[in-house]
Amino acid sequence: MPSVQLNSHSENAEKKHIEHALLPFLQSQSQNTLTRLYQRPSSCLSLFRLLEPVERQIIMSLLWLESAIPQSTMNTWVNREGRKLYDEAIATLGRLNILPTNLTNKLALNTTFKMSFRQALTGGGTSGSFGVPAENDDKSPAQDLESLDSFALERWETILHYMVSSGTEQQPTKPSQGVLYLLQRSGLMSTFQGVLRITSAGFQFLLHSPHDQLWDLLLQYLHLAEERQMDLVEVLGFIFMLSTMELGKEYSTENLSGTQKAMLEDLRDYGLIWQRKPTSRRFSPTRLATTLTSASPPLPTSSGNSSGPQEGFIILETNYRVYAYTDNPLQTAVLNLFVSLKYRFPNLVVGSITRESVRKALANGITADQIISYLMSHAHPQMRKNNPLLPVTVQDQIRLWELERNRLKSQEGYLYTAFASQADYEFVLHYAKELDVVLWENASRRCFFGTLGGHANIKGFIERRAMGSNQ
Amino acid sequence: MDNSSHLSVVLDLSPAQWYQSPLSLDSFLAQLLVFLNAHIALKHDNSLAVFGALPDKSVMLYASSEPPMDTPATSDPNCYPPFKRLDSAVTARISEQLEDPLLDVTTPSAIVGALTKALCYINRLSVATGLVDPRILILSVSPDLSNAYIPIMNSIFSAQKLKVTIDAGQIYGPDTVFLQQAAHLTGGSYLHLTETSALLQYLIMTFLPPPSIRKVIAVPTQDKIDFRAACFCHKNIVDIGFVCSVCLSIFCQPTPVCSTCRTKFPIKTLQRLNASRPLTISSANNSARPTPVSTPRSAATAARHPPMSAESIQNGSGTSAVANGSGH
Amino acid sequence: MEVDSDSDISLDLDHQSSKAKGKAKAKAAADKKKADKGKAKAKEQPYVWEASFARSWDTVQEDEAGSLQASVEDLMARGRRRRLLAPASAIRRTIIRHLILVLDLSASMMDRDMRPTRFDLMLQYAREFISEWFDQNPLGQIGIVGMRAGLGERVGAMSGNPQEVLKSISDRVKLEPVGEPSLQNAIEMARNNMSHLPTHSSREILILFGSLTTCDPGNIHDTLDTCVQNKIRISIVALAAEMKICRELCDKTAGQFGVAMNEGHFKDLLFELVPPPAQRAAARSARPSGTNAGLNPAPANPAADLMMMGFPTRLPDASIPSLCVCHSELKSQGFLCPRCLSKVCDVPTDCDVCGLMIVSSPHLARSYHHLFPVKTFTAIMKDLDVAPDAADACHGCTRIFPERATNAKEGMSPFRRYRCPDCENDFCSECDVFIHDVIHCCPGCGK
Repeated sequence: MPSVQLNSHSENAEKKHIEHALLPFLQSQSQNTLTRLYQRPSSCLSLFRLLEPVERQIIMSLLWLESAIPQSTMNTWVNREGRKLYDEAIATLGRLNILPTNLTNKLALNTTFKMSFRQALTGGGTSGSFGVPAENDDKSPAQDLESLDSFALERWETILHYMVSSGTEQQPTKPSQGVLYLLQRSGLMSTFQGVLRITSAGFQFLLHSPHDQLWDLLLQYLHLAEERQMDLVEVLGFIFMLSTMELGKEYSTENLSGTQKAMLEDLRDYGLIWQRKPTSRRFSPTRLATTLTSASPPLPTSSGNSSGPQEGFIILETNYRVYAYTDNPLQTAVLNLFVSLKYRFPNLVVGSITRESVRKALANGITADQIISYLMSHAHPQMRKNNPLLPVTVQDQIRLWELERNRLKSQEGYLYTAFASQADYEFVLHYAKELDVVLWENASRRCFFGTLGGHANIKGFIERRAMGSNQ
Repeated sequence: MDNSSHLSVVLDLSPAQWYQSPLSLDSFLAQLLVFLNAHIALKHDNSLAVFGALPDKSVMLYASSEPPMDTPATSDPNCYPPFKRLDSAVTARISEQLEDPLLDVTTPSAIVGALTKALCYINRLSVATGLVDPRILILSVSPDLSNAYIPIMNSIFSAQKLKVTIDAGQIYGPDTVFLQQAAHLTGGSYLHLTETSALLQYLIMTFLPPPSIRKVIAVPTQDKIDFRAACFCHKNIVDIGFVCSVCLSIFCQPTPVCSTCRTKFPIKTLQRLNASRPLTISSANNSARPTPVSTPRSAATAARHPPMSAESIQNGSGTSAVANGSGH
Repeated sequence: MEVDSDSDISLDLDHQSSKAKGKAKAKAAADKKKADKGKAKAKEQPYVWEASFARSWDTVQEDEAGSLQASVEDLMARGRRRRLLAPASAIRRTIIRHLILVLDLSASMMDRDMRPTRFDLMLQYAREFISEWFDQNPLGQIGIVGMRAGLGERVGAMSGNPQEVLKSISDRVKLEPVGEPSLQNAIEMARNNMSHLPTHSSREILILFGSLTTCDPGNIHDTLDTCVQNKIRISIVALAAEMKICRELCDKTAGQFGVAMNEGHFKDLLFELVPPPAQRAAARSARPSGTNAGLNPAPANPAADLMMMGFPTRLPDASIPSLCVCHSELKSQGFLCPRCLSKVCDVPTDCDVCGLMIVSSPHLARSYHHLFPVKTFTAIMKDLDVAPDAADACHGCTRIFPERATNAKEGMSPFRRYRCPDCENDFCSECDVFIHDVIHCCPGCGK
């Protein structure tokens, strides 16, 4: 699953904004499930925030209308250049059952969604979907933000660190059984000779931004929940509810359903929520949870907070040297995937990108584009003054190293030989070229190679010709 | 395209104007709050500031970067906490301001003050955090104040410099030329609401999309923009004016000396201009006043604010001066 | 507004009385001031060729805590002091300006004493200058002339469109410096470019001069005399050293002359010429007053005039297309002349049918802040001045003021409070700068 995601990411990164990872999952759900999900105002609000800007505006514009709007009326509302975006948006909303398609060619929001979302905006109702706050307890005051952050960070980095150092001699702390099972199930790790080893999908996962990683993992969790026969609506609703909660507040577990109470343990393992003890009747969401639907960083600055801003710490020079201002073992370990590290200082790691180090990464299933995008997204603020951001030589060389591995490309097809005459050969070749199916040709030997897809046509053509000449 | 955006809303809270409006302030606020919530809902990181223009003063009602000191007692499980904070802060501050006994309800509201404050605030935020296309939305119920022309224009130019889009909505009363220009010059949209029953729908369709989306989704644009200016001598809005070449002061009739910079103009020019004036005067006589827009407005202002004799006198002198000019 | 103009009279009177004082004395004072200024500047900024090695990090000083706050405040304090020094009385300014920008494209521009080269730096600053100039002088026009290989070269025609002007100097390769410059040729060309202009507009030449020689076909003093007659004002920013002829050109035409000591100073000198020049001399009266009256028999003072202007109505983009009077093209957008209702494509322009000058009021309004500047705010220095019920946050941006005094540089308030003299609201230092430099309108009193 993640690998498929990745390919589309690298190809379309420039062209358009990538739709959120959760949406395809939701689109695959039944209308009934979705409608039940939309009964909760908090779910509507969180889902709304995951949508594209145009989709959000369409929903907002239709939200307060009582009657359906003919499609032609809405069309006049869109500029000609925005036509494609708009049509895509309408289609996505249709698949999400927010804008159900009907035969009358009129647009109207799903009534359940409309009611709940209106309620979310105006307040009121009795759903309690934004979390029932726990009553203030003088004995045990709510956890302060710092300790919540460090808790979340510790949990999250434990998982990543375990992944990155599996298969090496290091023995980092193991995350809980549930997490290990999830990692294995999702194909990020697999058992190899009785030991859990990271897979190539796992390597790719490591280079994602924390936000994407979190959603990737939650998505795997949802798949798992499906298999475990948990009620998806409950699971999703709870995740959405967490994302609308306030950091540093305590919430009561009393109004949660059985499924949701069972989820508490898993989410605690991922670092999404904090509880004093497993049996506690209250919980606090961490920053990982409350920023699920936002673009703000889900993790506070790394544990050794001397290393400056989390978002940028790498300096890459034209001589392939990499200076990483970090003392975070996880970041060092991730860098170690494709950089050969030379020196370590208290707040600085120096290494260089070499052919061997990149080939090692490529062998692990990491692509050149991923390395480059990782370097870009973690570039030091000083680097951001450069244009282009990364030295072109280094970018090109990394790509070339990748190409080295792909010197041979296999393509299935048919070789056409033994043409009776040069004229015959040229005639068929001309036809094949018109179809744009020729991969290779050699006139002196009167043969050419066509793709698999073109074979039926060419075969038919030759047969027709043969019949024609026979007659 | 999908960046968080900042919105500063400037609300005209002139009690005298709201009293006359068919839409009550309460129902306006109810719809406005839903609109503001919608802005917050669009994106987790969207920021919002609300400024109120009251008679003769302006106040900041709410800013998402500065949570109000008095935290609401308990959060409501049925309401998204940021919405709750916004709604209670805005309503509380507005009623607190309007109940101020010192408030002179007849004074026109200080839209300029609120607008410049919004700009100062955006300036501060953009220095600190680097805002991406910030916007200001002005919701006005008051007619243009001619002595606010220069400050409003100055605000517009500083908005252009800061790359701020100004949207304007006139909820009650005649079109305002100044707000039209503000919207036009900063690439925003201007809406003159004649139908107040669907206010919320208008607000959402016109003012909710951030500038990046407006490339895709059409928002209403003004069909005609008035580029006329107010003259310096009588504050009349003029079609054709006489402009001092040194300081660009605008006069509605030829004067021998510029009142702003004391420049004396050549007699020849005065004679030439006076000779060419009958043309404009005759057209003025046809429509009683050269400016169709200003006619109902100045008449209405005079009627509405009997205590404001100053302005009515100014208007009066303007008319008499025109009469004199024609007699020449 | 009435009040404003009254106060202007008094200021004007002040000015005149100072003019009445002996011209020699005035000149001496002016010279002394100039010299002082030069000295003070020289102390903090060495000449480029004097500095052995530029260490940019030396100019920024960290305090004990490693913060740059102090340096930033220092910069702001300097800006504030400069504003206090600026004359508040210069209300009479030339607003409709015409400027020919003369660029030195001689071989001496390839010197590397200013980085990267004089030529590249000049082009970069010229672009910034042009954008800023049009921003502040929306009714003005700029033309560009180059001095290269002993000739004057027309680089860009006189235009009121910033994009057009910028485009003419966008191609670096076309402007590659070569040969000797010729001041006379360039000035003659610039003068001819402006000969057709009406009397009420200003005519200015700004020369960016990097050479120490000029290669002229005739007597440059004759050219200078014709410029004085034509009331052309010549300003020069020299990049190398002062030349007598340059100084004379500027002095006799009431322009400004400066020698740039380093990159920053170059920019300062250039940008001093952006705001419309204050018109020192009153209407062309018998008294040829002004500080350099003796040298300057006819001050560069365009005749004041009253102009009739029309404010058009803009047609929306979606209106029914019709023919415009200027290009006879079928277009839907455009502006309607208020007198004859014919349609023109763009403003400001003269109506092709009735000849009325059509401007949009925003074009005029852009210049008003020169005429009605915001009063300088007073820095709150003493504890007593902070009233007990004073607001605890900035009136503009609601930033919270510090509760007690902090140490501050000269001219800065230890309380970080700056008070508007009219509405007596307090503002923070950022808003103080922002209000005076950008908004030009006090949020408290709306003036």
